[in-house]
Amino acid sequence: MNNTWESVIGLEVHVQLSTESKIFSNAPTKFGQTQNSQASLVDLGLPGVLPVLNEKTIEMAIKFGCAINANISSKAIFARKNYFYPDLPKGYQISQLDDPIVGEGKISIEIDNEEKFIGITRAHLEEDAGKSLHDKYENLSAIDLNRAGTPLLEIVSEPDLRSAKEAVAYLKKIHSIITFLEISDGNMSQGSMRCDANVSIRKYGDKEFGNRTELKNINSFRFVEKAIDYEIARQIEIIENGGSIYQETRLYDANKNETRSMRSKEHANDYRYFPDPDLIPITISKEKIQEIEKSLPELPEQKIVRFIKDYKISEYESKNLNASRELSNFFEKVAKKISSPDLAAKWILGDLMAILNKNNSEIQDSKISSEDMINLLCKIEEGSLSGPGAKKIIELCWSSNESIDNLIKKEGLDEVKGEDEILKIISRILEDNPKQHEQYLNGKDKLFGFFVGQVMKETKGSADPKLVNKLLNKKLKQ
Amino acid sequence: MKISEEILNNISSLSKIRIDEKIKPDLIKDLESILKMVEEMNKIDTSGIEPMSHPLDEADNLRKDEATDEIRRDEYQKFAPQTDDGFYLTPKVIE
Amino acid sequence: MEDLSKLSLVEQINGLKLKKFSSMELTEFYLNKIDQEKVLNSFISLNENALTEAKKSDEKIAKNKNSSLEGIPIAHKDIFCIKDQKTTCGSKMLENFISPYSSTVYEKLSNSGTVNLGKTNMDEFAMGSSNETSFFGSVLNPIDPERVPGGSSGGSASAVAANLCSFATGTDTGGSIRQPAAFCGITGIKPTYGRVSRWGMIAFASSLDQGGIFAKNALDAALALENIAGFDEKDSTSINKKVPPFFDQAKLKDKEHIVGIPKNIIEDIKDEKVKNNFYESIDILKKSGVKVKEIDLKNIQYSLPVYYVIAPAECSANLSRYDGVRFGHRCDNPKDLDDLYERSRAEGFGEEVKKRILIGTYCLSAGYYDAYYLKAQKIRNLIKQSFMDAFKEVTSIMMPTCANVSFKLNSIQNPVEMYEQDIYTIPANLAGLPAISIPSGKINKLPLGIQFIGNYLEEGNLLNLSNKFQQNSDFHNE
Repeated sequence: MNNTWESVIGLEVHVQLSTESKIFSNAPTKFGQTQNSQASLVDLGLPGVLPVLNEKTIEMAIKFGCAINANISSKAIFARKNYFYPDLPKGYQISQLDDPIVGEGKISIEIDNEEKFIGITRAHLEEDAGKSLHDKYENLSAIDLNRAGTPLLEIVSEPDLRSAKEAVAYLKKIHSIITFLEISDGNMSQGSMRCDANVSIRKYGDKEFGNRTELKNINSFRFVEKAIDYEIARQIEIIENGGSIYQETRLYDANKNETRSMRSKEHANDYRYFPDPDLIPITISKEKIQEIEKSLPELPEQKIVRFIKDYKISEYESKNLNASRELSNFFEKVAKKISSPDLAAKWILGDLMAILNKNNSEIQDSKISSEDMINLLCKIEEGSLSGPGAKKIIELCWSSNESIDNLIKKEGLDEVKGEDEILKIISRILEDNPKQHEQYLNGKDKLFGFFVGQVMKETKGSADPKLVNKLLNKKLKQ
Repeated sequence: MKISEEILNNISSLSKIRIDEKIKPDLIKDLESILKMVEEMNKIDTSGIEPMSHPLDEADNLRKDEATDEIRRDEYQKFAPQTDDGFYLTPKVIE
Repeated sequence: MEDLSKLSLVEQINGLKLKKFSSMELTEFYLNKIDQEKVLNSFISLNENALTEAKKSDEKIAKNKNSSLEGIPIAHKDIFCIKDQKTTCGSKMLENFISPYSSTVYEKLSNSGTVNLGKTNMDEFAMGSSNETSFFGSVLNPIDPERVPGGSSGGSASAVAANLCSFATGTDTGGSIRQPAAFCGITGIKPTYGRVSRWGMIAFASSLDQGGIFAKNALDAALALENIAGFDEKDSTSINKKVPPFFDQAKLKDKEHIVGIPKNIIEDIKDEKVKNNFYESIDILKKSGVKVKEIDLKNIQYSLPVYYVIAPAECSANLSRYDGVRFGHRCDNPKDLDDLYERSRAEGFGEEVKKRILIGTYCLSAGYYDAYYLKAQKIRNLIKQSFMDAFKEVTSIMMPTCANVSFKLNSIQNPVEMYEQDIYTIPANLAGLPAISIPSGKINKLPLGIQFIGNYLEEGNLLNLSNKFQQNSDFHNE
C-alpha cells in the first residue's frame, strides 16, 4: 500500500430484519418462495391499499440502537422516497429521512490487536424492493415482488474506516451484533445482509475528502475486501496519472475482480422525499426503550469479559469462543457441567473446531453435541478416557451414527484404567523389565519414555499419558 | 414563477409522463398560472411555525408481527398486462 | 304506484320493515329510473347483481334477520373498490380494473344490508370541481342539465338529487362532497379526518381524503354516516374511537349551539345574492333558537394556495403506482422501460390529472421543497390554529359552501378559476375537521348551500344543527 495515500471508507449496510411478516403488511417473509407468492395486496401497491407498521420492526431497531449506545428517536416518522423502477410497486419506497429511529452511535473493532472505534451516523427502517431478473427472457425482465416490503434496517457508518481490512472487521462486528440480538440471520449470500461501500482517497494529512465512488453488488466478506482493495488501487492509479475521480456508482464483478461504472438508473436522483401521509408518527416512549434495553441478550463484548472471569479462560480463548452466539452458547452449556471449563475451551477451540472446519460445518450443525462434549470431557476429567482417546472418538463420531459411549466401548477405550489399574500395569512393566529398571535407577533417564511407551502399549493407548507420567514418576522414586 | 421548457422536461421526466410538443406551450401557461396563485403563500410570515403533515397529531396504529395475509397470486395477476409463470413482465431493463 | 324514490331513507327503512313494499320493488323502481335518466350520466357501471342482493334482503326481512339498512338501494362513488367488480376512478387508467378486494366503506354498507345499484361517475382520480374531467363523460346537473353537478363526486350528487338511489357514498378532499351537494340541492357530509376508513378508497391526497355521504336530509345523512364510520386496523390514519349514535344526536331537541360567523370571510363574498342568502340562513338559525357570534378566522384566505401545493404533491406520489406493470392501462408495444412508463401514463391519465402530478412533482423537487411544500405545511398549521382558536368561543362555524351556484358545462377553462370553486370548502380538509353542506335556497332556480364546520369528532353536533335548520326550512324538500 502506497504511503502517501489514505483511503477513506464508509459502509452502508442493509440488514433484513427476521420478522415473520413484512414491515407494512401481513405477508410472510420466507426466503426462496415461488415468485410473487408472498406479495400481498399492500406489497403490490394496488389502488386503495394502505401500510400499517409492524411493531416488531421498531423493537428490533431499538435493540440495535441500544447495542451501539445510540440515541433512540422519540417518534417513528416515515418518508416517501420517490423513483420509478419495476421492482418498486408504489413508485416510492417508504423509508426514513430526517428522523431516523436510531441516531449516532459507535462500535469497536479490533485491528492488529488494537481497538478502534467506528462511528455510526444513523440506522433507519425502510421497506425492501422486489427483485428484477434480466436473464430469464430475451427481451423482457421478470419481476418478482416477494421481497417487496421486507423490513430493512439501513446502518450507515461514518467514513471512519481506513482500509479494506477495517471494513471487513466492521462488517463482521455488525454481523455479530445483529445475530446476537437475533434481529437478523445476517446471511450475506441470501441477501439478508447487504453492503455498499463508499470509497475515496486523499493524501495523508489532508482534511478534505476526495470524491467518493459507491460500490454495489458485494455479497460476501471476502468480496468486500477485494472490491475495496481494487477500488482504492484504481483510484490511486487514476489520480497519480493526473486524472480525477467522479462521484458515481460502480458494480463489483466478482469473476473479474474489478469494479465497473453502472449505467445510471439513478441519473435523475431527485427523490423528492416528503413525510408519508399514510403513516402517522408513532410515539416511542422512554419506558419502552428501557424495557427493550433490559431485555437485550448479553452482547459479545460483555460475554467475553464474563467468560474470562467466570470460567478462568484466557482473553484469546474468550474472544474466539464469542465469535458467534451459537459457539458461545455451546461453550457455556459444556463449561457449566464440567469441573474445568478451561478444558472445555481447549477442546472446543482445538479439536472440535478443527473437525468442523475440515467438514465445512458451523457449530449449529455439529454432529458432536454439547452433551457429547460434556460426556467426553467428564470422562477425561475423571481419568477414564485419555486425551488421545477422546481425539479418536471425536473423529469417529463425526462419520458414524453411533453414540459416544458405544464408540468408546467399540474402540476398547473404556478399558482405560484408573490410577490403581495403571499402578498395577506399571508394577508389572517394571517387573518384566528389570534390566531397564536398574539402568534407569542408575541414571539413564531416557528410559522413562520407554516405560511410558510400554504402559501405553499395554493399555492400547487409552491411558492418560499425564497420569501415567505422574504415577510412573511416583513409583520410580519409591 | 416562470416554467422554462427545461423545467417542464425535468418534471415530466421525474414523473414519467410524456408530454406532446404541441401542447407544451399551453401546458406551461396553465402551470405558470397555478404557481402564480400558489405564490400568494409568500405574503404570510411563517418563521417559527412547525409544519403540519397530518391532521392527526399521533396515533399508535401498529400491527402484530403475524404472517396472516392470504395471498391469491393468480387472482391478482388476472388483470396484469403481461405475466408469465407468475412473474410480471416488462421490457428488458438494462443496468 | 307511489314514487318510492321520493321517500327519505328513514321512511324507506320503515316501509320495508312494515312490508309496505319490498326491497326488490324498491330496487327495480330505482333501476328503471336510472335507465330513464341515463342522460345525466350519473353512473359509470351498474351492478348486475342488484336484484339478487335485493332478494336476499327481502328474505332476511321476512325472517326478521334484517340489519340496520337492510334492503336499501344505494350507489357508490367509483373510487371505492368492490371485489370482483370494476372500479375505474373515472379514469382510462383503470378502465378495466377489477379489484380483488373490497373497500371497508363498501363492506360496512354491504354488511348493513344495503343493495348496491352501481358505481357513480366522478372527476378523474377525484381531481375536479365539476365532474367534467371523467374519462366516462361529464355528469349533468338534474336541476339544469346544461349545468354541472359539481365535483369530484358529481355522479353521486346527481344520483341522490334525481332520486336514483336512497343515498350515495362520496369522497371529499377539497370539497368534493360539499360543493356538489350545494350545486344539486342536497345534503352532503365530510366527517373528521380518520373517522371513515380509507382502506380500498383509491387515494388522491392521503392527508386530505375522507369518505362521506350524500343524502336528502341531515337525518338520512346521520344514519348513513353511522354505517360507514369506525376504526379500521388496516388504515394507519383511522381514529380509534367509538362511533357515536349520530342519528340520535341529530334528533336531540335541546342541544345548544353557538354558531360562529367569520366576519372577514363573509364580508368578502363577491356575489350579492349569495351574501344575502347567507344572511337569510343566519336568520333561520336564529329563529330556530340557535345563538350566533361573530368570529375572526385568520389566514383562511391562504387555504387555496396551500391546498394546491399539498394535494398535488401527495397525488404525484400516490399516482406513481400507475405504471402499466401490474395493473391498469399499458401502452402498446413499449420500446423500453421508460417508454412503457411515459406512454402508459400519458395515455391513461387525463389533462387535469397530469397537471396536478406535474405541479406536485415540481413542489417537491430539489430546490423547491422548502419554498412550496414546507411553506404550505406551515401555513396549514396556522389555519388549524385559527380554527382551534375559534372553537374556544363557538361550537361550529358557518360559511357558504360555494361562492356561486352551478355554472354551465365547459364554461370554465382556466384551471385557477376552477380551483376557486373550493375556497370555502378547502379549509376544513386542511385542518381535518368535519363539515356539512345543506341546501339553503335557490338563485335563479339554481340551488346553493350553507356549510357548517365542527370541531374534531363532532359530526353529531353538525348533524343536529343541520337538522334544526331543516326543521325550520324547506329547501331540502324542494
